[in-house]
Amino acid sequence: MSTSPHSFPKVPRGPDVLGELLHSLSQPLTSLRCSLELSIDEAAERQQDSVAIALQQTEKVIGMIQLMREYLDAEQPGPGAFSTALAPAMRSVIESLSSIAAVRGVRLRLVGTCAATVPVPESRLRLALQYLIASMIEAQPVGGKVMLLLGEGPAGAVLRVEGERDSRELDFREPNFREMEQSATNPLTRSDPAGVTSASLSTLRRVRLAIASRVLETAGASLVFGGGGRTRVDPAGFVLRIPRQVGGPACEYQKS
Amino acid sequence: MRILIVEDDAALSSFIRKGLEAEHHAVDVANEGNHGRAMAMEIDYDLVVLDLNLPGLDGLSVLKSLRQRKANLPVMILTARSRVEDRVQCLDSGADDYLVKPFSFLELSARARALLRRSHLPSESVLTVRDLCLDRVERKVERAGRPIELTTKEFALLEYLMRNAGRRLTRAMIIEHVWNLTFDSTTNVVDVYINYLRRKVDDGFSPSLIHTVRGVGYQMCPEGASA
Repeated sequence: MSTSPHSFPKVPRGPDVLGELLHSLSQPLTSLRCSLELSIDEAAERQQDSVAIALQQTEKVIGMIQLMREYLDAEQPGPGAFSTALAPAMRSVIESLSSIAAVRGVRLRLVGTCAATVPVPESRLRLALQYLIASMIEAQPVGGKVMLLLGEGPAGAVLRVEGERDSRELDFREPNFREMEQSATNPLTRSDPAGVTSASLSTLRRVRLAIASRVLETAGASLVFGGGGRTRVDPAGFVLRIPRQVGGPACEYQKS
Repeated sequence: MRILIVEDDAALSSFIRKGLEAEHHAVDVANEGNHGRAMAMEIDYDLVVLDLNLPGLDGLSVLKSLRQRKANLPVMILTARSRVEDRVQCLDSGADDYLVKPFSFLELSARARALLRRSHLPSESVLTVRDLCLDRVERKVERAGRPIELTTKEFALLEYLMRNAGRRLTRAMIIEHVWNLTFDSTTNVVDVYINYLRRKVDDGFSPSLIHTVRGVGYQMCPEGASA
């Protein structure tokens, strides 16, 4: 019998296998979530807290599944031609995030504009911008500021995001999966009231940055983290360059 | 309203049925595509909740054949496929809404109401819950005749609560609908804005309308029941 790898039947591999697993996992999780939501009212007073905790934990698992899906989606190019006007998408994300920044005591300011359209579906572009900027907001100290400078270069749009440095500066290095693995295996010593540990928060941030990086990379963009933030001329942050789409219409989806 | 659920997962369809019946809808269930299509064709439903991955005839084929005969019947798709192109394909095929598993029943219920409202009632420009009035066109809010100043985000949050008065809303639903962001369990922005709203809408008035639902989220109670 031949041992050639060509003798293996065609089976799903890599992302396809993960996609299938996520697909299968989503079915029982939907039942579990709906069941808990419907039973919380019916549960006896002394059991309601347990049901509430079970529901919260289920929602966290669902959040992780959502991140896995986003990562798998980011790994695959979308069909057809996509073209999104960057400035309106950027303003919309800033509008959504500004109240989150305000609640954390961080000022968010967008300066400049650009007319470029970029070859990314609007929903994915919004997601990438949301994750990048939300991480930046999260890293700032109370009273801090995140400045976003949007402009155009010869090849396309340029977004420079600057903030002040804080103790979580590690998150603002290039996403590094070796570091991510290490943080995931560290002993968990602290958790917030929702039960989210500091290590898992850090992992979530890194996964989101990885998703954002992948979405932008597939659009031919470059994302450079840098700046130590210790001096005013060396602010912490990143520079994002997205190539302009030549002749692309400013709409989200165009069938191929 | 009469609703048809076409879903092959018996556990899931039973929970959806139980939840919708608790909201006083008449609910039928089909667990196979051909069966679902036949029921949808023969019976006069107000809404069809249709899974895509079905035995017999797949959900997309059911949808396409429904659209040929019942162009105005609202159809909400349930699916585990979350990619942009899947969504576009479903909407292009005539779906009215699209819900990705694992969804919340509360989200399904809210969207079902929106579809039923769209097909039966004109959109209201003024929302009223007891003595609280929100004018969506004039962008004004009053309680007991007293004007209340709200920021843009507070206004959007109050509108969402009032539109779903009497229904529980999770933090995830609120952040996704009002902020248009992917839900992040680490942010407390919803709780903070609910507090802002309470100070403006409930403080100094009776009864309190915005209530915390333990373990779930928030609810605007038209009857002003105690929290």
